[in-house]
Amino acid sequence: MALRGPGRRAVGEWGEGQAAAYLTALGWEVLQRNWRCSAGEVDLVARDPGGTVVLVEVKTRSGLGYGTPLEAITWAKQTKLRELAIHYRRSHAGVGRVRVDAIGVLRDGQSVRISHVRALS
Amino acid sequence: MSGQAHSVALVGVDGRIVDVEAAVGGGLPRTVLVGLPDASLYEARDRCRAAVVGSKLAWPDHLLTINLSPATLPKSGSHYDLAIIAAVWRSEGHVPPRLRERTVMLGEVGLGGRVRPVLGLLPALIAAAEAGFSAAIVPADQLREAALVKGVKLYGVGSLEEFQQVLRGAAGAQVPAGEKGATVATGRVPDFAEVIGQPEARWAMEVAAAGRHHISLSGPPGVGKTMLASRLPSILPPLSDREALEVSAVHSLAGMPVEGLVHTPPFADPHHGASAVAMIGGGSRVIRPGAISLAHRGVLFLDEAPEFSPKVLESLRTPLESGEVLIARSGMRARFPARFQLVLASNPCPCGNWGSTTQHCRCQPYTVRRYQERVSGPILDRIDIHQNLRQQHRSVSRLVELGECSASIADRVREARARQARRLRDTPWSTNAEVSGAGLRQLPLPAGMEMLDRALRRNQLTARGIDKVWRLAWSVADLSGRDRVSADHLATALAMRQEKGEAA
Repeated sequence: MALRGPGRRAVGEWGEGQAAAYLTALGWEVLQRNWRCSAGEVDLVARDPGGTVVLVEVKTRSGLGYGTPLEAITWAKQTKLRELAIHYRRSHAGVGRVRVDAIGVLRDGQSVRISHVRALS
Repeated sequence: MSGQAHSVALVGVDGRIVDVEAAVGGGLPRTVLVGLPDASLYEARDRCRAAVVGSKLAWPDHLLTINLSPATLPKSGSHYDLAIIAAVWRSEGHVPPRLRERTVMLGEVGLGGRVRPVLGLLPALIAAAEAGFSAAIVPADQLREAALVKGVKLYGVGSLEEFQQVLRGAAGAQVPAGEKGATVATGRVPDFAEVIGQPEARWAMEVAAAGRHHISLSGPPGVGKTMLASRLPSILPPLSDREALEVSAVHSLAGMPVEGLVHTPPFADPHHGASAVAMIGGGSRVIRPGAISLAHRGVLFLDEAPEFSPKVLESLRTPLESGEVLIARSGMRARFPARFQLVLASNPCPCGNWGSTTQHCRCQPYTVRRYQERVSGPILDRIDIHQNLRQQHRSVSRLVELGECSASIADRVREARARQARRLRDTPWSTNAEVSGAGLRQLPLPAGMEMLDRALRRNQLTARGIDKVWRLAWSVADLSGRDRVSADHLATALAMRQEKGEAA
């Protein structure tokens, strides 16, 4: 059964936590969770070891019935993420290079599978 | 990570090897197909993915880029599915990167994982064999068709599971040993025995068959023009293996089932409403063979010839000369073989009774002329025999014994062809109808040439007409078992030529 309301949000927040832990393990610094602006929200803002600020979209799924998590990132969503990147640069002067990544978190029974795609075009 | 497999792109009957490459990674999960696919091929992307996932086999959940190269060649059709799936599996390491032999793969997949037959398998495999490929993975349903190509090892696959096993080294389905390259009989070909009466016309058909002359039959409705024409294939010599393969390749492209080599010459009788594309072949994206190519090495019968649109009839002129048709489109040029024997049937006028001794023609003289002129001079010029059929005498309807059967006529035709083959051994031609004017003059001269001179003087014959009579006379001589053309043969030929009073 599809999750609704608080349960649904809880899965999303759990996934963002998993993604943040994964990035930290990679040696990235997580700057902020749920950065908001007038255009919308970014799930994670992190800085990779090269110093680039990365806006991360996290997609969480608790099964493959609707496809893999990353398949849920549509063309419209990618456009929105690019727009958010512009807003982020505008509100953080001197931030340097900014990039958009996507992380898919799949809860598959007991195990968690994370897939990370860098630099969405 | 990338993988590779091979397939064949067909343009007309000519095939080119296509490299199918798959690369995984570098973006959001998505499947991209590049390399000038058309709409029907672009759908392969979704079809392959759904079929593989549906068969509980692996499909990458990353960005997957599939490239068909050479990238400039427009590609079309559904037969790339197997090669695409193989390249994808190889890129993921699910199957070994190559088989022992250089292998092409041809086949369409269904959503349930079944491997379906494809159009043009035979010409594609011929092209692959010529390009040095020694093995092929083909749909199991089409193994018999594929087995007609010599020197290619076949793996038949009926489903994606079998396909994966073959890619891992299994043997796949094979052609049953006894059936390999077997000859299959066509359905019943009508027999000349059923034609009662019309001895002259029967003889004309025999001469036409012997020398492969184009023939025009003219006469009132119901005298048996169609009956005679449809029986011509039954007296033509059977096709050689090589010819039968050419014919099967075209039929495979047209989507006709090919089960084995058919040695009976094909017979195509397009309706007179046929468009130019239906006649010579064409189509905007995929170029398909037309009636003249389906009649390759056989008979093209145009019933009610004056009813065909002039444009369609004129389109026959080049193929009649060259024996093939070249169809050019913006992106490609397709070649189809079209070496056919033309049989025209027509009424002499719209009501059909012009020239009849028993019926009254109701047409205006002008209408009759217009009707007869609808088949243009250039086309008529290529026709050697003009045979008029007359309404038979009433007594014929009481005849009960059958005419001579096709088999015994075919024996004479075969002997005549053998005689031609011996005589034309060192020339580029094989039948009398093909020999050029200059070529005729290098053969022994016929006796009774003064007969032709006389006809020429009386304007009954043109210079070109003389060549035609000459060719016909050779066929008549061949049929009577002589190596020289006698005055009698020449007189017979002259009479056949002049059947249609004014034509020459």
